[in-house]
Amino acid sequence: MLLPESMSRIVIVGTKTHADETIEALYSVKYVHLIDHTVDADEGFSIGNSRPYASKVAERLLKVRAMEKELGIDKHTKTAPIPEKEIIEQISSDSVELVDEAVRKVVDERNDLNQRITELNATKKTLEIISELPIDVELYSGYKTIESVVGTVEEDPTSALTGFECEIFLAAGAKKGPRSVAVFMRKGDRDKVLEVLATVGFNEVLPPEMSGSATEALAAVDRDINTAQSGLEVVQKELEVLLEKHKAFLRAADEQLTIELDKGELPLRVASSGYAFVIDAWVPTTKVDYVKTEIERMVPGTYVELQETRGRSMEEEEAAEPRFKKAPTKFGNGKIVKEFEYVTRLVSAPKYQEIDPSILIAIFLPLFFGFMVGDVGYAIPFIILGAYGLKVAHNKDWRAIATVLFFGGIWAFIFGFFFFGECLGMHFVNSSHMIEGVEWSWQMLLGLDNLPDIFDGILPHGSGTGKLFHVGLLLKLSVYIGIVHLLIGYGCALYNKTIQHNFKHAFKEVGGWLLGFLGVVILCFGLAMLLIYSDSYSLNDVLPFLVIGAALIVAEIAMNIKHEGIQAVLELPGFIGNVLSYTRLAAIGMSKAGMALAFNYIAISMIGVGLGGIAGIVVGLLMFSFLHLMIWTLAILSAGLHGMRLQLVELMNKFYEGGGIEYKPLRIKRKQTIYTENTTKEV
Amino acid sequence: MADVGTGLIAIGAGLAVGLAGLGSGMAEKDIGAAAVGAITEDLSLFGKAMIFVVLPETIVIFGLVVAILGIFVM
Repeated sequence: MLLPESMSRIVIVGTKTHADETIEALYSVKYVHLIDHTVDADEGFSIGNSRPYASKVAERLLKVRAMEKELGIDKHTKTAPIPEKEIIEQISSDSVELVDEAVRKVVDERNDLNQRITELNATKKTLEIISELPIDVELYSGYKTIESVVGTVEEDPTSALTGFECEIFLAAGAKKGPRSVAVFMRKGDRDKVLEVLATVGFNEVLPPEMSGSATEALAAVDRDINTAQSGLEVVQKELEVLLEKHKAFLRAADEQLTIELDKGELPLRVASSGYAFVIDAWVPTTKVDYVKTEIERMVPGTYVELQETRGRSMEEEEAAEPRFKKAPTKFGNGKIVKEFEYVTRLVSAPKYQEIDPSILIAIFLPLFFGFMVGDVGYAIPFIILGAYGLKVAHNKDWRAIATVLFFGGIWAFIFGFFFFGECLGMHFVNSSHMIEGVEWSWQMLLGLDNLPDIFDGILPHGSGTGKLFHVGLLLKLSVYIGIVHLLIGYGCALYNKTIQHNFKHAFKEVGGWLLGFLGVVILCFGLAMLLIYSDSYSLNDVLPFLVIGAALIVAEIAMNIKHEGIQAVLELPGFIGNVLSYTRLAAIGMSKAGMALAFNYIAISMIGVGLGGIAGIVVGLLMFSFLHLMIWTLAILSAGLHGMRLQLVELMNKFYEGGGIEYKPLRIKRKQTIYTENTTKEV
Repeated sequence: MADVGTGLIAIGAGLAVGLAGLGSGMAEKDIGAAAVGAITEDLSLFGKAMIFVVLPETIVIFGLVVAILGIFVM
């Protein structure tokens, strides 16, 4: 539970004639984490060749993916799964090629039409410019002594062209802004005219080769565009029909072909010689016997041998060959803790030789979240939302959030009910520390005078701990929680180093810090008694704390100064910082209580005195719901993020190294196809 | 009415939280910008980036502790 699962390295030897059966067997046992063969790692062996069917599969997969792209099929497209046997039959009877032909025909047609529409639109633009001039299209060219330019100008070019022998046709329009122009000039003057026209923002267009008036031509082009567009619509419909008809097949074929390609290219990852292959793999230690008997039973002539069972000592890892150095990490967590692996993965997967912090996060993250929220009124929606999220969400991110909300909500309820005695920022019963006229309680609000009898003896301090009143208590409590949390962190560090090396090494590496931490905590405890509670304690009372604390600190410096240098001293304030960091547990609770106090005051005074009447009650209730919804939403962010930070920074920094390789066994995941037994393997 | 001393404590507490908050904000802004840049390159850095971004947050907690000590203990 604490450590990742124990792994063993096996080697599978077989003849190439049984390659396909072996690949099938590897996938069907579901526990084999393949170790990639490196070139020249073993004499006489090289990387194998992909199976003969792989290239055909790859070609088909390429076609399927291209079609999916054209038809707009992605992983969100919902389709009914197809039985594996059926899809294999369809693929082997050239269905991919047939569908591809049909789809490509329509897609080509669509592309042609799209291109035609683009071209027509360009012509239309030109004609629109020309149609503003009173000249037929064929009259722009075909002269012996004159030539023309057509286009748009930003300003009237007449004055600019005064020196030239030319005739200007300018379309009517505003003084500024583009309008059509045609200039006829002597042959040879064209370049000079263009130069001058450039100063008035001339933009040339080429008249199309046709005859008649431009307006008529424009109408013709419009008709063509409409025809093309309706053609396109028909083609789009055809594509939609094709999509509906083939989407299930394409999605299933994609999945089936991907699986087959993975299998077909598996030899590229293993060592092979002329006649035999050798596969190195990691398998969970508990499954070695199962894997051995299964593979040897399924594939005749194949031999599986256990090479080593990797221990947790770092020496073993260092002694291993480079490609066998790192054993993969297989999280060994139960159903609930599994959801918290997400938080661990945010940093990285744990190493094979260290504690998987997921279980600590699973315990403390909801606890901290609950402590910071600590209110029945917010807890219940959290529990409902979390439970709903766990029921419907499949995405890992959402599941992780829902888990924290659900269990955090439960803790928030427990703290809110039994410790703070609060619902929506108001105590259940009247308390002695309530601010007259500003603070309310449910007893006061609803006039339930029997509430104190019900809660009698349940709530601490009579009416529950006041988040804004018993601040000292909450601060102290947070600090104690922090000390325990950090000590667990140091404990994990000691354990990690002990299994990686030995206890002596662990104590040398971690023990110093642990002593220093304890020293600082004890010293600060003494100092706090002396400085803050100076009335009740004298120097003599706290002297033992000061002495023990100082002694531990000296021990820490003595132990660490050799290999850590000045860091051994500089780290001391860091211990205080680490512990004080946990006061955020109280602080976030306080900030929420403060907001709730202010919002309740606003809303309740609106209902009571502010506006009066029905309107007052409605507006007041609306305000009440909206403002509390705001606190509730902020609680997810602040309590969730700060709770997580305490795990990731304060706790995990003490012992967690990470950087492990995740265990990824060869395994087939089918979503679009349904597994059927006894399928023959052929493509 | 509260006396001048109480008022000074309140001002001191406000300054403690406010200035510490400013400090953390200034520290976090650079780290935050760099972190967002790193995450856009590689999403798997999110966890590590978050750790770095929230590191200076402890400063404001110190401010808060001082403020609370000022208000409730003095």
